[in-house]
Amino acid sequence: MRSRLAICGLLALVAPSGCIASNVVATGDRLVTTPVVALHFEPAPGLPLQGLYESVEIRGDAALSLRKVYYLFDTGGTYTAAALTEVDGVPSFQTLNGTWKSTAAGLELDGRPPVLLEQAPQHLRITAENGVLVLRAANLQ
Amino acid sequence: MATKLLQWLGALFIVLLVATAIGGLLVLKDRVRVVVQSDAPTSGPDPTALLRDDVQVLASRMGELQAALSQNFDRLQAAIEERTAARHADVIALRQEVGTARQLLDRLTQDLVALRGQVRGLQPQAAPQQQPAPANPRVESAAEAAVPVEVAPSPPAHAEPAPAVPQAKPAPGFLSFSLPAVQFRCDELQDYALLPGLCRVGFDAKSTLHDFTGVTEKVAGRFAADFDDPEGAWSGEVTVDAGSLVTGVEGRDTDMWEHLATKEHPQIRFAIQRFRPAPGGIDVQKQTARGDIDGKMTIRGQTRSLTMPVQLEVDPQKRVVVSGQVPLKLSDYGVPVPSQLGIINMQDEVVVWIALRARMQPKGHK
Repeated sequence: MRSRLAICGLLALVAPSGCIASNVVATGDRLVTTPVVALHFEPAPGLPLQGLYESVEIRGDAALSLRKVYYLFDTGGTYTAAALTEVDGVPSFQTLNGTWKSTAAGLELDGRPPVLLEQAPQHLRITAENGVLVLRAANLQ
Repeated sequence: MATKLLQWLGALFIVLLVATAIGGLLVLKDRVRVVVQSDAPTSGPDPTALLRDDVQVLASRMGELQAALSQNFDRLQAAIEERTAARHADVIALRQEVGTARQLLDRLTQDLVALRGQVRGLQPQAAPQQQPAPANPRVESAAEAAVPVEVAPSPPAHAEPAPAVPQAKPAPGFLSFSLPAVQFRCDELQDYALLPGLCRVGFDAKSTLHDFTGVTEKVAGRFAADFDDPEGAWSGEVTVDAGSLVTGVEGRDTDMWEHLATKEHPQIRFAIQRFRPAPGGIDVQKQTARGDIDGKMTIRGQTRSLTMPVQLEVDPQKRVVVSGQVPLKLSDYGVPVPSQLGIINMQDEVVVWIALRARMQPKGHK
C-alpha cells in the first residue's frame, strides 16, 4: 500500500512537467531580428509615390554614415527628404528638394539614372549602387 | 616339430624385443636430452665481449652525433629567432608606414572636402547669372548652413584668370545625398559601440521539470578590436542589467533576481582582455573572425576569469555581429542554485550566451 502511494506521489510530481513547455531560445534565434526580414518585396515599376516614408533599414556602404532617412513624396513629381548622417561621431541632417519619376526602369530621382524600386505592404525598397534603403510608410501627425 | 617350436620362440623373442624398445622409447622420450659439444678448445675472442665493445663504440658515436646535432639545432634556433625578430620589426615598420599613409590619405580627403566647399562657395560668385539645372536637387547640410564657409576673396577684374581648379571627384553619394568616403576596415584597431535594442545576452538552464532561457536586451558596452592583430590586444567591457533578465515565468524571475542579488549587484559585467584567434579563424576579406576571448566575468559581485569562444562577422548593415557561448557554474560566482523543496532542482551549470551588434565608432569618440 505504501509503495503504491509513493508511486502516486512521484507521478503527481512528474506529471506537471508535461504541462510546462520548455522555453529555451534556439541558437539561431538569439540575435535580435527586425520585422523587415519577414517582408517579401516585389518589383514596382511605375509605382506612384505619395506620402511620408521613413527608413527602417539601410544596408551597404551607405550604412556606414547614414543613420536615418525621411522622404516625403508629392504626387506632382517633387519630393523633400532628410537624412541623418554621422561622420566622425558628429551627427547632422542633410535636406534635399528634388524631383522623382517612377518608370518601368525604376525610380528616377532628380533626373539621375533609375534605381531599382520594390514594394511590400507599407514598405518600399530602393536599391542603389552603394546601398539599399528600406522605407516604411509613416503618417504626418 | 622342435624347430618349428624354436622358430616360433625366436619370432616371439624378436617381437618382444621390438615391443620393449618401443615401450622404452615412449617412456623415456621426454627425458632424453641430446647435447652436441665440441671438444675443441675455444681459441677466438669472447663474442659477448665483442658485442659489448661494439655497443660501447656505437654509444660513443651516438653521443658525438648528438652533440654535433645539438650544436646545429642551437645554430638553427638562433637563426630562426633572429629572422623572426627581423620579420617582426619589418611588420611593425610596415604597419607604421601604412598608418602614416592612411593618416596622409585622411588628411588629403579632408583637404579635398574643404576644397570642394570652397569651390561650391566660389561657384555662385563666379557665375551669378547662371541658372541652376532644374534636375539637380538642392542639397543643404545642416552643418554647412550653420557654419558659413570661408570663401577666398574673388580676384580683381584685371587679374589674370586663376588656374583651373582640378575637378574634384564627387563624394560618394546615395540617392542624391552627399555622403563622406567612409570605409569599414576590420583589419585595423577600431572602436565599436554596442547598439541598444539590437543586443541580447542570456543563459540556458536545465531543471528537473524543464529547460528554460533567461534573456535580456538591456546590454551596453564598447570594445576595441583589430580582427587581424596576431597579438589579439582587444579591450572593452560588456555590461548587462541583471534585474532585466527574464525567463517567462514571473515567480521564477523573482527568485532569480533574489539569487543574483540584483539590488546589491545590479550589473553583470564581462571585461575583455584578449582575443586569441582560432587557427585559420581570421578572414579579413570576408570580414570574419573566430577565436576565444579571455576576460573577467563578474556576477553577483564575484569576478572570475572566463574564456568565451566567439564568432564575429559584419552584417549587410555594416555592423559587427558578435556571438558566442560558454558554460559556467553558478556556484563559482556564489549564486545559490535554485531548488524547490529539494525535489525540483536547477542544475548548477548554465550556458551563458551573447548575441551582440556593434557599430564602428570614429577614433577617439567616447
